Amino acid sequence: MKNTYKILAIGSLIAGLSVSIISCDKSISEPQRVGYTPANVDEKAGSWKTYVLTSPTDVTVAAPKATSSAEYQAELTDLKSKSASLTQEQQEAVVYWGAGAVYRWNEIARELAARYNIPPASTPDGKYPVPDAANPLADPKFPFANPPYAARALAYLSVAQYDALVAAWNYKYQFKRSAPSKVDATVRVALPTSTIPTYPSEDAVVAAASYVVLKAMFPGEVPFLDAKLAEHQNSRLWAGMNVQSDLTAGADLGNQVAAKVMARAKTDGMSAANNQALTAGMIEVAKAQGLTEVWVSQESPLRPPMLPNYGAVTPWNFDAATKVKLRPGPPPALNSAEFTKALDELKEINKNQTREQARIANYWADGAGTYTPPGHWLRTAANAASEAKYSEVRMARTLALVGTSLMDAGICCWDTKYYYYYPRPQQFGVKTSVGLPNFPSYTSGHSTFSAAAATVLGSIFPDRANEFWAQAQEASNSRIYGMIHYRFDCTVGLECGKNIGTYAVNRGKADGSGL
Amino acid sequence: MKTILKCLAVAGLLAPFVAKAQMPNDAIYMGKKQLCVAGMYGYSSWNQYWENTLKRENFNIGTHTTQSIMVMPAYGISNRVNVILSLPYVWTSTSAGNLMGQHGIQDLSAWLKLKMVKAGGFSLNAIVGGSVPIGNYVPSFLPMSIGLQCRTFTGRLLASYKEPKTGLYLTAHGSYGWRSNIKIDQNSYQADDRVYNTDQVRVPNTYDAAVRLGVLRKGWQTEVWAERSSCLSGDNIRRNDMPFPTNNMQATTVGWYGKVQPRNIGVNARVGYVVDGMNVGQSTSYMVGLLYQINFNK
Repeated sequence: MKNTYKILAIGSLIAGLSVSIISCDKSISEPQRVGYTPANVDEKAGSWKTYVLTSPTDVTVAAPKATSSAEYQAELTDLKSKSASLTQEQQEAVVYWGAGAVYRWNEIARELAARYNIPPASTPDGKYPVPDAANPLADPKFPFANPPYAARALAYLSVAQYDALVAAWNYKYQFKRSAPSKVDATVRVALPTSTIPTYPSEDAVVAAASYVVLKAMFPGEVPFLDAKLAEHQNSRLWAGMNVQSDLTAGADLGNQVAAKVMARAKTDGMSAANNQALTAGMIEVAKAQGLTEVWVSQESPLRPPMLPNYGAVTPWNFDAATKVKLRPGPPPALNSAEFTKALDELKEINKNQTREQARIANYWADGAGTYTPPGHWLRTAANAASEAKYSEVRMARTLALVGTSLMDAGICCWDTKYYYYYPRPQQFGVKTSVGLPNFPSYTSGHSTFSAAAATVLGSIFPDRANEFWAQAQEASNSRIYGMIHYRFDCTVGLECGKNIGTYAVNRGKADGSGL
Repeated sequence: MKTILKCLAVAGLLAPFVAKAQMPNDAIYMGKKQLCVAGMYGYSSWNQYWENTLKRENFNIGTHTTQSIMVMPAYGISNRVNVILSLPYVWTSTSAGNLMGQHGIQDLSAWLKLKMVKAGGFSLNAIVGGSVPIGNYVPSFLPMSIGLQCRTFTGRLLASYKEPKTGLYLTAHGSYGWRSNIKIDQNSYQADDRVYNTDQVRVPNTYDAAVRLGVLRKGWQTEVWAERSSCLSGDNIRRNDMPFPTNNMQATTVGWYGKVQPRNIGVNARVGYVVDGMNVGQSTSYMVGLLYQINFNK
């Protein structure tokens, strides 16, 4: 009997211990971004060179009411009542959006890219239905936000934000209407302030421009985007940062710019990017160059290759003739010693992949269900710009230079891939630890994207150039470690990406920013 | 995915197959200072799985197979307190597609089994277990990964009645399994319909419940069993996407277990079949083991 008590005592001790462990906190910490006063207000940004607008005066903003006017005073009264006391939810919205308008909308776009980055499932008859923009939430959802799609969506987003902010800066410093809290010191502000005039509101400009672009790119997400737009605009009132007329003028400006940017998107060739009828001709061209075994889908049933005509989409930082010049020379013949050596390297990794190789392959994989390599690099860019306390317009410039270069990289790389139609290592018995993309091997998209982005970032943040380039090099190697690219796919892609990035760098040097 | 199922099968504790060998899920005890070492081989495969609730096949996986070998000692501290350890080596493969199989040492598990109450043929047992990953395997490459890299802790109550004359017995248990967060190689991933910008992943906790009906006689044992194991939260595999450690994996499994051990050497075997599930493969699993008992009383 005594023994029973002893056992019961041990039992309850263990039960107690287990309860304490089970109640262990399982929360996850994510890096937090908070608002800041920009290191430089970039007063002259209204004269920076835009992408789609020919001049800030392509769009119009009505002159604001004077701060002494009865209308403005009424707005101030309204603002004070809205910002006087905030609910927990409102405070969280203020802090969230306070991290930066461009920063947050880029993050939202990456999130949408991840959510839509799933290849369609095959149907019982062995076909792959094409996502339908008119019915975006049906199976398969529209879009399939693969790397070229994501690169383009993110590029248009950044261009719209940048052009709209340049125009906004032009009008801000034309009208010079001060922030509400500078007009009336009793306005309670919840975020760091600066001397940047607040009419029109840069937040409202970015929110409206982003909303228009993202609604077009992700048409199934209108309710989600509606909620983000409303919360962003309201957060500026709750934070005491903008009166309603700042926001109304900003939204109007953002809408005007985004409409012009989306007009370019409608005619950039994307609608023909998935023209599968062209592949037979592409294969003929590759064979005529001596390729003995062309790329074949490794999926079952055979999946049509991803966006075979994306290479014909209009680039941002150079023209179509330059694109052809940027295309790298041919890959090694399949019966060459160079090819055998490259394939043997992959076979060796297939046998003895190290944990560090697996880690690098996984870290940079950015495959299905993620925001893709362009999203990865824009995250890096946005974080760097935030750490450098960039103003909204300079942040947008950074992301536009990187984003357009990423889309250019996608276009050039896809042009190269389908020009050479080179087979994947999996056609020679190699497995993969990251999943195999469904398009030709030569050159590596990761390498091209990463080199372009790292080159642009290295120009904007010279102190960190080596760090960014090391990342690009690692991203490039990751595709060898994941066994889906030959080493020459990667080295040549990296070189081509660097050349592509140089065009954006030169544009940045000549855009009037002096940066 | 199979790996996951494995994890689930023992509430994320022991490697799956093993769990049924001698076991943290029965009311059988090693006598004081008796050691039984089991060496077991497990084979489990599926060619259909549940993507969320959708039962499907995948031509780019074909048949997915998980195999394992494991060593599992059980020791009697006293006639009413046993400790059980296990350490499996696991490897995965597919019959189609190009996903590279994974292999390696998985997680070390330890169970402590206490006979709290014994009255006639009835017993009430408290079982606690924990596991820690030993191998540095990749947890996020599902369904090829060999494990989830969780630390786990399981608390289980097990009631059993054995009719003394015939050896006919009925056993039932319920468990709660805590699983730690894990770190993955990526610094961003999608779960719960959003993107997490971190490498930390919350892996859902689990429960399981099982009933077993069998006969235990001197030298042999045979039983049929049914088990329900499930996560307490988690998300679902997105349409045509791969599984992920955050998934709410659920499985109902039925099977048979038998053991013959006339002397100090014996064999055991187990068969299991998943009849229903979510976010797991519909696996059929087999396990065979060799048992060797040592008496330290002399």
